[in-house]
Amino acid sequence: MLKTKQLNLAFIITLGISFLVFVYLVFLGYEEIRTLKDVIKIVASILFPVPMLFFVRFILIENFIPENSEAYKLENQKPATGLFIITLLSILGVLKFLEYVAHFNLENHLILAHLINSTTISSYVLNYILYNNLKANGVLSGILMALAVHIFF
Amino acid sequence: MNLLNETSNPKTNSGKRELLFNFQAIIVTGLLAFTAIAFFSYNHLAIVKGIKVIFAPFLSIVPLLFILSILRDLRKGFIEGDYTKQEIIKFCLITTGITAASTGITYLLSTIGALEILLASIIAILSVVFFLKAKINDILGMSIITGIAEGIIIYMIFFF
Repeated sequence: MLKTKQLNLAFIITLGISFLVFVYLVFLGYEEIRTLKDVIKIVASILFPVPMLFFVRFILIENFIPENSEAYKLENQKPATGLFIITLLSILGVLKFLEYVAHFNLENHLILAHLINSTTISSYVLNYILYNNLKANGVLSGILMALAVHIFF
Repeated sequence: MNLLNETSNPKTNSGKRELLFNFQAIIVTGLLAFTAIAFFSYNHLAIVKGIKVIFAPFLSIVPLLFILSILRDLRKGFIEGDYTKQEIIKFCLITTGITAASTGITYLLSTIGALEILLASIIAILSVVFFLKAKINDILGMSIITGIAEGIIIYMIFFF
């Protein structure tokens, strides 16, 4: 019982981070939201992952929910944490690299940031509800954290 | 009662697929309505002849009803088990292709200058979706519908 509680807490915190990123992105781009067009773009970027996820779910119909047992956790703890850190660092690295080398600033392409945010969080929710794959969980949390860290700092 | 149970809480995989397909069809319908409203309010479309607006939808609805009435079901429905790797790759490629095509079609829609033509085109796409939903209840229909939805969204994000 406690275990599910812990897991739910992580789930809610991740959702919260994603929401914070979203609010912050809207706040950052507030100056640019002048016309209906910008609102449409943001709505579209939020909707973007939904049909794709439905399609993926359609193909991968089986639920592979592994039992959330101690053994499963112990076995996947290390790879999941490793993947989390690797993804976090590599995504951060890519973003910084783009910023310095290609003069590509994510702040000027907020739609892209919205896209990454919504895609990641939707996949996270799908994974959480249906597959509960800890490794995928690690990767997705890594992407989300990298985005949050990059945007906030 | 049994039927109600089956549709509201599908236990089989094909039932779940059916449900996902229906949701996807609803999403596409919503997106098409969204597109019509967005283009109408943003491109300041003119209504050239008001009476045409009323008749525009029938242009594609009448053929649709005709085709639906004479055609038998083209597919057997959703399969219960998993798809093979080859099928998955094939249908992902189809989806990507339809996405590109649908982005182009949405671009063409955005160049339309009159409301009645836009309405006729949107209803035509909607008719295709309903046709797929009614007759091609299959992974092929699903990939085409997904492609249409993604195409509209991609156009709205990057080109609008």
